[in-house]
This record gives sequence, structure tokens and C-alpha cells, in this order.
Amino acid sequence: MAWISKDWAMTGIIKGLIVTMKHILQIGNRKTVTVQYPYERMKLAPRFRGRHAVDEDACIGCGICESTCPNSTIRIVKYGTRWFPEFNLGMCLFCGLCVDACPMNALKMSGGYELADYTRESLVYGPERILFKKEVNE
Amino acid sequence: METETLLLNMGPVHPSTHGVLRFKLRMDGEIIRDCQVVVGYLHRGTEKLGEMKTYLQFVPYTDRLDYIAAMPNNYSYVKAVEELAGIEVPLRAEYIRVLVMELNRIVNHLVFMGSLLLDLGASTMIMYGFREREKALQLYESLCGARMTFNYIRPGGVREDLPDGFIPKLREFIKDMEKRIPDYEDLINGNEIFLMRMKNIGVINAEEAINSGMTGPSLRGSGVDYDIRKVEPYSIYPDLDFKACMRSECDSLARYLVRVDEMRESLHILEQIADTMPEGKFINQRYGMAPTTGAPTAVMSFFPRIFTPRAGEVYSRIEAPKGELGFYVASDGTTKPYRVKIRSPSFCNLVALPKMVAGLKIPDLIAAFGTIDVVLGDVDR
Amino acid sequence: MWTGDKMITNPNAYDLIVAILNAIGVYNIILGFFQDLGMEYILRVIIVLVIIAVLLVFVLLTVMFLSWLERKMFAVVQSRYGPMVTGPRGLFQPIADGIKLLGKEDIIPAKADRWIFTLAPFVVFVSVLLVFIPLPFGRSLIVSDLKVGLLYIIAISAVTPISILLAGWASNNKYSLMGAIRAVAQDISYTIPLAITAIAVVVFVGSLSTVDIVNAQSGYWFGFIPKWFIFLQPLGFILFLIACIAEMGRIPFDFQESEQELVAGFFTEYSGMKFAMFFLAEYAHLFAVSGIIVTIFLGGWTGPALPFIPFELTSLIYFMIKTYAVIFFAMWLRDTVPRVRIDQLLNLGWKIMIPLALLNLLLAAFVVTAGVI
Repeated sequence: MAWISKDWAMTGIIKGLIVTMKHILQIGNRKTVTVQYPYERMKLAPRFRGRHAVDEDACIGCGICESTCPNSTIRIVKYGTRWFPEFNLGMCLFCGLCVDACPMNALKMSGGYELADYTRESLVYGPERILFKKEVNE
Repeated sequence: METETLLLNMGPVHPSTHGVLRFKLRMDGEIIRDCQVVVGYLHRGTEKLGEMKTYLQFVPYTDRLDYIAAMPNNYSYVKAVEELAGIEVPLRAEYIRVLVMELNRIVNHLVFMGSLLLDLGASTMIMYGFREREKALQLYESLCGARMTFNYIRPGGVREDLPDGFIPKLREFIKDMEKRIPDYEDLINGNEIFLMRMKNIGVINAEEAINSGMTGPSLRGSGVDYDIRKVEPYSIYPDLDFKACMRSECDSLARYLVRVDEMRESLHILEQIADTMPEGKFINQRYGMAPTTGAPTAVMSFFPRIFTPRAGEVYSRIEAPKGELGFYVASDGTTKPYRVKIRSPSFCNLVALPKMVAGLKIPDLIAAFGTIDVVLGDVDR
Repeated sequence: MWTGDKMITNPNAYDLIVAILNAIGVYNIILGFFQDLGMEYILRVIIVLVIIAVLLVFVLLTVMFLSWLERKMFAVVQSRYGPMVTGPRGLFQPIADGIKLLGKEDIIPAKADRWIFTLAPFVVFVSVLLVFIPLPFGRSLIVSDLKVGLLYIIAISAVTPISILLAGWASNNKYSLMGAIRAVAQDISYTIPLAITAIAVVVFVGSLSTVDIVNAQSGYWFGFIPKWFIFLQPLGFILFLIACIAEMGRIPFDFQESEQELVAGFFTEYSGMKFAMFFLAEYAHLFAVSGIIVTIFLGGWTGPALPFIPFELTSLIYFMIKTYAVIFFAMWLRDTVPRVRIDQLLNLGWKIMIPLALLNLLLAAFVVTAGVI
């Protein structure tokens, strides 16, 4: 009789049913936890590693981020009169090594995470899309 | 009556192969006569990549091995590199490392419980598991900015210090988990149908398990008291009070229960760490380089991008949530490793699966496969 | 019930419509019109068609509501919201799903048996719909009060595995075939305890007619315990419930699909509207079987009459409340338990359920013979 549990009262199943009933009635911190994503969003941590952003004033176009990147995501391109990194996010690991390596502290990763796009080309984020100006608040 | 055996090709696209694993099954009706595991559908050449990247650059790639629990991967590789290069690690960094690894063990076992029950047809547990996992992932997010692929542990320490209010949030998580685990036990452990499906299924005795190279909770479910945290202590584990969970029934249920017990032990470890977290530096700054301009922020780890360890070879192994995770790193004195070999627990545990399931039925294959807790990124590398 | 010129003891929906037409005073006019043409039978056909249309719409609406309810309940159990966007609380989600499925490509595999592959979903759906014919939704709300109603229900339920086997075989897919074989094995082994427990009830009632079974359950013991057969035969009820859940093919007995093992079981290869037919049939089956459980064990539509409301309506409400209670239990169980293994299921069916069902029958026969009730 190994094929059926000796517990004929099926107390285990009843216990499980009680747990699920507690969730149906939402007793004791068993509330709905999901969010209605496109309409409401969860709060991101300040350290969240999303899309890159480059401080326009601080960046010197040295290329250390380029050489640090494990996946050859970064390319230094000319933008206006200066050189800035360009990120091919289709290849990016979002590892954050470039941020750590930046000697000028110009590179950071912002909270942008909705990066899906229709073409591979539009995943290449050139300086026009990633540059920002740091607010000076002395 | 003469019957034919049916060759059933299960996977690589199948709901319960946890990714892209393929079973070639020779079926006699519902009974499995022969099971052949075909791997390699997710092969990305990670070991070869290791030879092409510098020591630091390879760390994010280790995240992609066992993506359910990536911290131990980071740590195992970094531990090898540190031994190779002789890098000292501050005590606080070690505490943070063990903290994130034990947290990851809980995350892994939550996903394990969920996916196992999902394989058995009860889809509620996976949502409960993911609900708690989400809290842990938010802790990780506040810690290092990523939720699954962390790139957090690096030679000399960790990437960033704990953010403000991390320890209180961790305590909250522990308290919450301690309330949730009895819920799971009520839901699953006593369930007669669950017991019917798990008891005496996928039996593998201690000797066979060792011969197959099984490690971790799967091996401890077979009654072998082998936990690398105990037999070859590393990091701060000797100072911590915990026990290696072990059961001797050798079946699927034992492997499952070991993991539930381990979650409790990990919570206990987390509590100890939260109590005794020392102050200090989170990374060895001897190797640091200060930024030339601008105020250094807490985000900066100051670790050089390129360093050259001595020529030599090192094998570092740790107790990852799934078993023994080893990194063999050979250096020829240049900036890149000469060879990286990964001994991944999922792959080695998978070897034992055909022995477990011969003569059982397809549902048992699913159940036994679920209990050895495999991540395909870890199997194929 | 008084319909025109004669008294009918067990009226059905046809008589109800006639009675309603009589009450508003148009029946004799219409009847006279058709009698003048000498084609009285056309009126009968029209009324029957109206009944069928009402039943079909009612069942389909219920099915749509059930599929929403199932998802919603699943979501609530799992701390989620479930469908929220389409309509209030996502109530119109089944309609959106239906439109989506209509727009899907209707794929027939190259090696499939085209005729049988196309036929199977319709057979499933029709066989489930036929179960509703002798099901009393309320007093006189029954399509046809067959004298062999219960036998008819069990017989028609046995058609479903045939259509599943058709689908599984015609798909020419190993998973489909295994799902179909499992479904047949399961249905055969569970129809027997189902029938035996139903017979135990018939022993008490002395009739196979569903209306008689419901009528036998009206009234109270000691003035407050309703005379439902669940109190007379608790063992029979549990066996019948388990057998019914197995018959429905729901977790913990959903071997026809067993998603994690056999991808989607017998309808792995189906897409588009054919898939939708299976989907509808599944929920229609859930509704039908719950209705049968209510009819046989939970007193059907019986309940206290309310003043000023025709009992036809109150009885329908009682029936629906009880049916939804059973459906709720089935969904609740689905949210909680894993699936048993196929051989364990068959063991349970043959080695435990059938002996217990026979024991239950013996007890029932003993009680009736001894004249206790």
C-alpha cells in the first residue's frame, strides 16, 4: 500500500486549503503584491543600473570606459567638437564596470529600463541621447 | 503481447525542462526504459571567454552561469583570483559577501520550491516563492543596482558598501520569511498528493550519488554529510553558527526537505551577520586608484581594471546553493587568465538523473529532475 | 402546473413557455394561427428552438464568466490581480480572449488526419452541451425530464473520452497520443465509481429521473436539516466529488493536459477556434458536472420559497448558488494541490474508489431495505 498515504483524513490537503483560503480572504499580511505595470511602476533603488548617462561637462572622452567594457559595448565618437562614448545597448551587460572605471566620475547609470526597440540600430545610444548636464548647486 | 518502445524526445522546448534541456526517452508505455540527457543548447563558451577577458572583466560573465543565484558564482571566481594574486580582503567585505551569498541561497531555494511544485502541477507555490524573492531582489537592487546579474563581488572586496538602512530592511526580510516558511510547509510538506509524488521517487543511494559527482543539497538528501562550508571552511563561515542540513532517505522528498531546512539555516546565518556586521572598508584600497578630479563617491570601488597575478593555478570551490561550485583559474602572469575551468554543480548533479529515473514514469522524471534543481545556464556554460 | 387545459406534475421548460404564453393570453391566438394552417408542429419546433437558444446562450455566458472567475481566483490566491484592464475588474477578458483566438491562424499539422482533427473539438463541445438536457436548473427549468436522466448523463459523459481520443490520435503527435490514452484510461476508471455512487442515490429515490431525484430531496429532517443526499450518503458524496473532478479533468487529476509532462496533452496541436472549442468545452464541463453534483447530492434547486417571487426564479438562484459553491471548491482545490501521477490515479480509482462505491451502494440498499428512511 505504498501508493497512498496512510493519512486517510487528508489533513495535509486541508492544511493547504486553509493556507490558500487565508490568501483569498487576505488574512494577515497576505495582500496582493503585484502592481499594474504599465499604469503604475515600482520604485527603483537609487543605485539601479539602467541606461547610461554621461555628464557633458565632466566627460573628457578618454576612452577608459571603452577599454574596460567586457563586451565592446562602448565606442568613443565625435559629437560636435568633443569626443563622447556611444553605447550599443544591444550588447550591454549592464555590469557597471564602465561607471567604476570612469576617472572623471562623469559616467553613471540612470533608472531608464524600458529599452526595448524595433531595430538594432535604435539600440545604439549615441551622445545625443545619453548626455546630461549636471545641475550646479553650490 | 509484443509491444514497441516509443522514442520520446522531450525538449529542448518543453514546459518543464527549466530551459533548453533535452531528454531522449525510450518509453515502454508510460515507463521510462532509458533516459539520455542531451545538453549544450545554451552553450555560450563562457570558459573560453574567460581566457579573453581580464580578471575583472570576467566577473559579470560569471553572473550568467547560475542566474538564479549569481552571487556565489561571482564569489567563487573572485576567490580564485584573490588566491592567485594574493589579495587581502577586509573583514567587512567578507561579511557582506557571506550576507549576499546566503541571501542568494534563500532566493535560489524559493525558486526551487516554486518550480518544483509547478512541475508537479501546483502553480500557487511559485507565486509565493517569487513574492518573497522579490523582496530579496529589492534588497539586491538597493545594494548593487541589479536584481539578478549583480557583478557585485570583485577582487579585493565588494563593489559598493551597504546602502543606508540595509540591515534594518534585511531584518524585516528575515522576520517576514520566518512567518512565510510555515505557510509553505502547511501548503506543501503535509500534502498527501505531494508526498505520494515525492516519496521513494528518484532514489539514489549515497555511493551512487558520490560516484556521479553529486554535491550540495542533492547529495545531502542522500545521507552524505558533505557541505564545503563545513569540510573546507572559507571566508567567515568558521565564525558562524550553522549546521549542514542532511537527510538519509535518498529520495526526492529528502532532497526537497534538505532545501527547506537550509533556508532556515541561511536565515539564521543572516541574523548573525546582521548582528555582528563589523565596520571598516568594503574593499581593499591598497589596489585603489583615486579619481583625478571630482569627489569620490561611495559608488566608486577604486579597483584597477588590470592587474597581473603571479603565474600559477588555483582551484577554488565553494558551497553554492546548488552544490559545489569550483573555478579553476590558471594564470601565465599576464593580464588575462590562461585557462578558466568551471565545475558547475548543475551539470554534475544532472549526471545522476538517468540513474534516478530508470523504470519510473514521465511524471517521476519531472519530479526527480525538479528536485536536483538545475539551471541550464549553469549546465551548459 | 396548469398549462391550458391539463395539469402537468413534472413540467419542463416547454410547459413553462406555454404557461407563460398562456398567462399573457397569446398562446391560444398563436396556436389558433398555426392550427388554421394545419401545422401545429411548427409551433412546437419553434418553442424547442427557443429553449435551445436560451440554454446555449446561458451556458456560453456562464462559461465565459467561469473562465474569468477561474483566472481571478487563481490570481487572488497567488497575491496577484489577474485580469484588470478589459472591463470592470477585467470582466470582459474572455471576450478579448475569444476575439484573439478567432484571429489566430487555424493550423492543421501536415501529417494529421484532417477530418478527425477537425471533427474532434466539435464532438467534445456537443457532448458536453448534451449533458445539460436533463439537468434541472430550477423548478420546471429543464429542457427535457428524461425518465432515464441519470443514465443519460453518465452515458453522454462517456462520449467525451472518445472525442479526446479522436483529437489525440488525429494530431499525430506523441504527446497528444499519450494525453489521449491517459484521458481514456482515467475516464473509464472513474465513470464506474461515478455510476455506482449515482446508483446508490437511485436506490433511495427509486427513479432515474433528475427531477424525481431533486423532488426527493425537498423537505427537512427535524425541521432544519434539509433532506439532501449529502447527509444521507457522505461517503457517496465524497466519492462522487472525487470521481467528478477526475471526470472533469481538473487538477489534481488533469491528465489529459498535464501541462508539465505532456506539453498540453491531447490539444497540443490545436490552435485558433478549435482550441477555443476545447477551452469552452472544459468550462462547460465544469459547469455541467457541478450542476450534476448539486442535483444529486445538494438538493438541486430546492430551498425555501420567497414571497412575491415566482419559485421558478428563486429555484434557479438556489441552483446557481449551490453550483457556484461546488465550482468554487473545484477551483480552490486546483489552486492548492499538485497533480497525482497517472498510475496512482488509476490505483485510487480501481483499488479504493470502486470498492468503496460498492460498499456505499450496499449500505444504501441496506438502509432502504431495512426501511430506516
